[in-house]
Amino acid sequence: MYGLLQAFAKWLESTPWGTGVRTSLWAYPFTQLVHFTGLSIWIGTNIALDLRLIGLGKKRETAAQLREDLFAWNWIGFCIVVLGGFLLFSSTATTFIVNIAFRWKLGVFVPLALLWHIIVQWKARDWGATQETPGIAKFAGSSEIFLWVCVIWWAVQIPNH
Amino acid sequence: MWEALEQMSWVKTFSTTGWMYASVSVIHYLTMFWFIGSMAVVDLRVMGIAARKRNLMELSAQIFPWAWTGFVLAIISGFLMFTADAGDWAPDPVFHVKLVMIILSVVFAILVQRGAPKWAALPEIPTSAKVIATIGLVLWILTILSASEIPAMEGLG
Repeated sequence: MYGLLQAFAKWLESTPWGTGVRTSLWAYPFTQLVHFTGLSIWIGTNIALDLRLIGLGKKRETAAQLREDLFAWNWIGFCIVVLGGFLLFSSTATTFIVNIAFRWKLGVFVPLALLWHIIVQWKARDWGATQETPGIAKFAGSSEIFLWVCVIWWAVQIPNH
Repeated sequence: MWEALEQMSWVKTFSTTGWMYASVSVIHYLTMFWFIGSMAVVDLRVMGIAARKRNLMELSAQIFPWAWTGFVLAIISGFLMFTADAGDWAPDPVFHVKLVMIILSVVFAILVQRGAPKWAALPEIPTSAKVIATIGLVLWILTILSASEIPAMEGLG
């Protein structure tokens, strides 16, 4: 299994995009820009909904309405994040797959946070139907924020490993 | 002077304690995504691209207090990380560019915030407003680009 992963990583590094990002002086910061811009949209819209579910923010609309308003931008942001992340990963894939911090980030916390986000976003239609949100919604919002903080925590640890 | 800042006892503790520095990094990234994302939403609303059902003045009033709170936290966390290697960062032109970009972006964010009530009161958002919001959005993106040079230099790259 690991042999397959390593072969895949080596192949990614040899692709035109992997090589391009790795060898070009400007491509790496630009790819980081794509990843961070996507994250601004993705994390921004996630947190906006989570805070509303927790009960913070001016209650001009219900959490369910906010969910509707943000839905498209949320997933557009996600696509941009994945694009940037994939390019960054491709550039030095073999070093990322053995990096313990990266493994925690992409192997554990991203799947957890993403799955939880999908559930919270889906349930927000019910939980967020009224002005005041139920206790479960407050828990869901706070725990989603916590999971994304864990993802960012492991991301900043990547250079240390 | 910058070396002296690096040598202060609280800075040394902060820069050598893994979890402290990492926590501040996390706060910096999180608040950056948060405040830039939300200011971008207002810019996009002025440009007429996003949240068209929402009233501009309400959206702006709802978003900006949170956005500025996030901005202040980003500045504080950024300053803390700066102190850890102040002697290296202070003369670095890459870092200077980042600071200049932040200042420019903030100027346009303030222009948008102050313009929003006026523009919202008009029957249609004027073209000049859309130009200001577009420039503001582009400036934030360029700020992220200049900021991306920093992790690239530190080893995330």
